[in-house]
Amino acid sequence: MPDFKTVFWSFLVGGTVLAGLSSFAARAADVDQDVMNRGAYLATAADCIACHTKPGGIPFAGGLKIATPMGDIISTNITPDADHGIGKYSEHDFEQALRKGKRRDGANLYPVMPYVSYAALTDQDVHALYVWFMNGVKPVAQTPPATQLSFPSNIRLTLSGWNMLAGTETQETGDSASYDKMRRGRYLAIALEHCGTCHTPRNVMLMEKSDQYLAGSPLSGWYAPNITPSKTGGIGDWSEDDLVQYLHTGRVKGRSQAAGPMGEAVEHSTSHLTDADLHALAAFVLQVKAIDDASDTQPRDGFGKANDIPDLRSGELTRIDNLSQKSPENLFDANCAACHGQNGAGTVDQYAPSLYKNSVVGAGRPDNLIMTILTGVNRKTADGHASMPAFGSTSDVQRLDDAEVASLVNYVSKTFGSGTYTVTADQVTKVRKDHTPH
Amino acid sequence: MTPNQYLHTSGPNAEAYQQVYLRMMGGTTWHWAGCAWRYLPSDFELKTRYGQGRDWALKYDDLEPFYYQAEVMMGVCGPDPKVEDLGSPRQQPYPMEALPISYAAQQFRKLITEKTPYRVVHEPQARNTRPYDGRPTCEGHNNCMPICPIGAMYNGGYSVYHAETAGAKFVPNAVVYKIERDSANKKVTAVHYYDPDKGSHRVTGKYFVIAAHCIETAKLLLVSADEQSPNGIANSSGHVGRNMMDHTGVQVTFISGDKALWPGRGPLETNVIDNFRDGDWRGDRGAYLVHMVDDNQVDFATQLAISKGYVGKDLEDQIRYLASHTVRLFSHNEALPDPDNRLTLSKTHKDALGIPHPDVYYKLPDYTVRSCEHTRGLFKDLIGLMHGTDEQWTPGYFPQDHPSGSTIMGVDPKDSVVDGHCRTHDHENLFIASSSVFSTVGTGNITLTVAALALRVTDTLKKELLHA
Amino acid sequence: MTKDRHCPLVDLHTSSPNAMRLNPLTRMSRRDTLMTGMAGVGVLAVGNVVTAEPATGADPELERFMKVSTRLTDRASLDPRIGKALYERNLQSAPERKAQLSKLATLLESGNYENASAFAKAAEQADPAFKDVIHDIMTGWYRGVADGKVVVYRSALMFDVTKDAIYPKTYAAGGPFYWTTQPPEVDKPTGAPALSPSKFDVEPT
Repeated sequence: MPDFKTVFWSFLVGGTVLAGLSSFAARAADVDQDVMNRGAYLATAADCIACHTKPGGIPFAGGLKIATPMGDIISTNITPDADHGIGKYSEHDFEQALRKGKRRDGANLYPVMPYVSYAALTDQDVHALYVWFMNGVKPVAQTPPATQLSFPSNIRLTLSGWNMLAGTETQETGDSASYDKMRRGRYLAIALEHCGTCHTPRNVMLMEKSDQYLAGSPLSGWYAPNITPSKTGGIGDWSEDDLVQYLHTGRVKGRSQAAGPMGEAVEHSTSHLTDADLHALAAFVLQVKAIDDASDTQPRDGFGKANDIPDLRSGELTRIDNLSQKSPENLFDANCAACHGQNGAGTVDQYAPSLYKNSVVGAGRPDNLIMTILTGVNRKTADGHASMPAFGSTSDVQRLDDAEVASLVNYVSKTFGSGTYTVTADQVTKVRKDHTPH
Repeated sequence: MTPNQYLHTSGPNAEAYQQVYLRMMGGTTWHWAGCAWRYLPSDFELKTRYGQGRDWALKYDDLEPFYYQAEVMMGVCGPDPKVEDLGSPRQQPYPMEALPISYAAQQFRKLITEKTPYRVVHEPQARNTRPYDGRPTCEGHNNCMPICPIGAMYNGGYSVYHAETAGAKFVPNAVVYKIERDSANKKVTAVHYYDPDKGSHRVTGKYFVIAAHCIETAKLLLVSADEQSPNGIANSSGHVGRNMMDHTGVQVTFISGDKALWPGRGPLETNVIDNFRDGDWRGDRGAYLVHMVDDNQVDFATQLAISKGYVGKDLEDQIRYLASHTVRLFSHNEALPDPDNRLTLSKTHKDALGIPHPDVYYKLPDYTVRSCEHTRGLFKDLIGLMHGTDEQWTPGYFPQDHPSGSTIMGVDPKDSVVDGHCRTHDHENLFIASSSVFSTVGTGNITLTVAALALRVTDTLKKELLHA
Repeated sequence: MTKDRHCPLVDLHTSSPNAMRLNPLTRMSRRDTLMTGMAGVGVLAVGNVVTAEPATGADPELERFMKVSTRLTDRASLDPRIGKALYERNLQSAPERKAQLSKLATLLESGNYENASAFAKAAEQADPAFKDVIHDIMTGWYRGVADGKVVVYRSALMFDVTKDAIYPKTYAAGGPFYWTTQPPEVDKPTGAPALSPSKFDVEPT
């Protein structure tokens, strides 16, 4: 295993962040390097880069469009550029934005910014984050387009009321590095990784339902599943080591693999956490209140087996311009079987994972299977580069239409998964339109 | 005749010119192995250096930047020249790192290195060794030919999609049958095409680029003959359809007597003996390169074992043994431009639209025959080194599907069709982007050179259109 | 040759490559091309996948074919679904094939053969025509081909015999660069052919 597992505060971040850092090491010469390292690690654990960088963009320069029920919110530049970023922020301004959702000019931030979670950060860690953002991040002189919401969401004042209603985490105290395992795990889950932002369902006011912590929630076409320790609806059958492996590499054989937003979270954040932190985080998640699930009534990774069907051929030749709709078996054969095997077992090394005993296929909701087919998998960690091509509207490998995707999803679910749903082409049309490039 | 009854061949080596190619968007890159060689500087100066064939009307250095552009667009992986110099100087490293070769290829390389004066190099390939251009990394499905099942290998379709996204218009199922010129016969003014119902359509333009591969390009120029140009378009030299070349192949399959290799794990063509791509002997015989083909041999082994009369458990043991010990070698041997090797329009066969089929007369140049003999000698030595048995030589000479030369490039309009910029001598706004312009055929697969020439044409067009 | 035909449902002159990629009625893209052969005539070399039906209403001759197959492969069991398809295709190879298979089964029932080789030897001695019959049975089970047509591809026994080392073409055996590792060693077999040799031609590639 990589040596960073043995060094608690050792610091490893993705290439883009590192590039930003190295060029500013000189400027930061008079800054305490331990504080810098700590700030960098915290920024990685808090996955700031995920939202504050647009695809292919400069780290922390903002511009990512985040779909919300209120409309699209565009993330801001949080590099230390004085005019375009947060260069004029004092440590107090920074702290107010981070923990209270208050901009330097006093306006409220949209709660897409997980300040209700960051509210739990210790003073020491806010300080480290401030030092690192001001000295370790390259200033970028560009302003992303402003967020344009319709009334009443465009009135940032409305958010004061929201902020009064929303439950905010309690600020932690002391040196977070010295916490015992469970307190450290809670701190990581809540104040830094803000797991609940995606995995906790929200009420009509879009506030996280505190009594439903980590019980699962839709997310931009994906579904951030129930990860409470429920034996039926959650991940109660996972060991702490399983969860550590998942967060470190993005995949656990016979259980699941990360794609979409979770793939990014693993790539940019959790795969860089120390071994001790991963164990603390996993241990905490596995002891939250178990909540059963409406759709998942058996473990998602418990379904299915290898498909034992000989590949009998008709012997009849088919012209390339045969226009008839392909059967689900043919679609699977032509699009999935080359990597996942006709029997669905995946490759021996599980580079292409098994489709049975797979949470994405076994889930009672089709969201993640549809999105995986439409957008593919692209997750790079020290474990390797997991890459499944997209089959959506802009795919350069193969484009499938809505009926084909629906047909495949239903076939895969019935053959290797729960088989509890039937997806229609119209459902795929909507997902494609709302949540994928087209 | 080719199996689909389309290309008719005649002459002493008719069987050596039965080229297989696809008349469709993306062309034969749907069915290739991704080998993406640059030619050697000497390939462009065969006449000057070795007194054979012709010189091109451009030099390697003229094409180098476009080679690189093509490698970036197609996604080519290849070795670091400091570690493994393939003889074609590079200004930039390959866009992707070389593809790690299979255990079988490693063992072959070890044998060649230890027991012969030769070497085995990584073949440059338009194949992803990392996710590239929205396509995944090669997983070694060993199905490059007929087709890559996951899109890890480049095909021309990807460039068409990118071009269309950038604003190009593509007309499907259009078969161009006529090229129209102005009254002075200096400029092309329009092309005419048939739709599948033989409805005729006319397309006008400022510039025209024919990129229909070697055989169809020449056929189109010939079929457009009219009173103004009775010998066909761009054919004042009479060289349209002449100088047909290919990489003629020698192939042998045998059973190694050494340790198990299990060829066929990984992509098809990954490694090459490149010692015979260039040398002073090119004054006498053609150059060649040798592939140790990394092809799954389970079906071959099974056919062989059944034909030997094995059944039951003994058959299964034989299948395992033969599949793990089969070695296949083949070569690309260099041809020379000979005006007598000629494409003409069939007088007896027409397609459904009434357009004549192509006929090709082919006689292997002695230069190529001597090259093939040398290859056979090398293969026999290698079979001996590997304690081989059950040699199966593919009879005669077989086409490698790299047709070239039919609208040959040169500086003299009297004996060539296009100039160094692939512009036809006869028509100032007509360009040809195809292996048909090759003046020599070298040894490496032709695709990357075709792409580089095409990009050089676009560079010329951009300059002229911007100045206009 | 398949008859040429046009595509009546779409306007070919207004379809762009990118638009065609998403329309299965016009699409001609990589994976669809995967379903075709090489020569540019656009035929599917291995035929469509068909859903396997359970072998019901046991045909006694089919059962005898399975017994002969089991003996000739030295295997404890064979997939009856593949057996049914092979048997049916095999019958089409020659008018006398049904009678030949029946006679071969009778030979098996009349004796006690310790293995495939012993049975095959005895069969060729009894009637030289059995050599080709056995050849076809072996080709069916091991290559998945009967009467010149592909009956099964990846389910052919040749891939079962070699699956610890290599996968059928087009299927992934591992992630990128798995192929650099050493596959299993194979010792030279000691068994002898049971039948006299047949003609063997290398298919040109």
